[in-house]
Amino acid sequence: MNLSGWEAFFFWFFGLAAVFAGLLTVMARNAVHSALFLISSLVSVAALFVLAQAEFIAGVQILVYVGGVMVLFLFVIMLVNVGAEEQGRSEIFNRPRQVTASLIFCFLLVAGVLFAINTGYPELQKRAAAQTANPADAERYSSLPVGATGVSRLTDQTETVGGILYRYGSLPFEIASVLLLVAIIGSVMLARTLKQEVSADDVDPDVLQEEVREHPEVAEVEVSS
Amino acid sequence: MSILLSLAVLLFQEASDGRFAQMMRGVRGPDLSKFLVIGALLFIIGVAGVLTRRNIIVIFMSIELILNAANLNFIAFSRHLQETGSVNAYAGQVFTVFVIVVAAAEAAIGLGIVIALYRNKETIWVDEIDLLKW
Repeated sequence: MNLSGWEAFFFWFFGLAAVFAGLLTVMARNAVHSALFLISSLVSVAALFVLAQAEFIAGVQILVYVGGVMVLFLFVIMLVNVGAEEQGRSEIFNRPRQVTASLIFCFLLVAGVLFAINTGYPELQKRAAAQTANPADAERYSSLPVGATGVSRLTDQTETVGGILYRYGSLPFEIASVLLLVAIIGSVMLARTLKQEVSADDVDPDVLQEEVREHPEVAEVEVSS
Repeated sequence: MSILLSLAVLLFQEASDGRFAQMMRGVRGPDLSKFLVIGALLFIIGVAGVLTRRNIIVIFMSIELILNAANLNFIAFSRHLQETGSVNAYAGQVFTVFVIVVAAAEAAIGLGIVIALYRNKETIWVDEIDLLKW
């Protein structure tokens, strides 16, 4: 895969934007700023997906991550109190010893990854060069309909991915839907308050008596229900 | 002065077909390895965030960053295999869909745990959550 011209420019633009936004995510003091930088990082990565001709995944990334997961994150940030961190009164990073240890670990990881890419990549490139480009691909590309701007053609990537997803991945697809259902039920169960648990009447009687002794306001719910 | 000039000339001559020129060719035409480098950087930033931050919500965000780096690698290799004409070139994109699904489920459960934790312990600092530590 060789990008050229404006594609190369946009690759570097969005790649560096993703990395810088990722760095700022980790380093921002305010958690809301972290979330916003993470959103920009995710959008930049979605742009890289478009450059790698994975338009469907880019759309899913923006819809699910930016539209769903990040909004959930922002809700939770608003629910928990982070005042001390914002005003600079408390340390945002862990204790120095742990930070040093983790940075050493990260440095080793960088070295390992760069070594792996340096040694493994030429072999990959050699194999790619050995395989000549498929002439049927170019023919198929030229038969695709032209886009509204007249510059590029409308690809059939989404169709292909959908076909593969149902042909080879239908069982994992169903399992994923069950996983999402379990996640919904689990998060509802986890986020319940004691009052809600009492009114749903699924607390152990011994535990309930103890809780009523500690928090008298729970008893009112029990009486009224 | 002349020494400096000759050094510059030497450098320039070296640049025309040396490592620098190779590097510039790589910058002008980014290929698979550049995608992998961007993915590796995002992954390492995410690992650093998980290991160093105190705020549990920012730790969750760093995990999302790590998953995204993995997705970027999947997509880049999928593209590479599409061009070399592999049989199952689109498996990377299908796998990315599942990674996104699992990430969404993980975020929902994790944030539910954060809310329950905040309700019981009144803290979001991971160094104060040491109930299981002895």
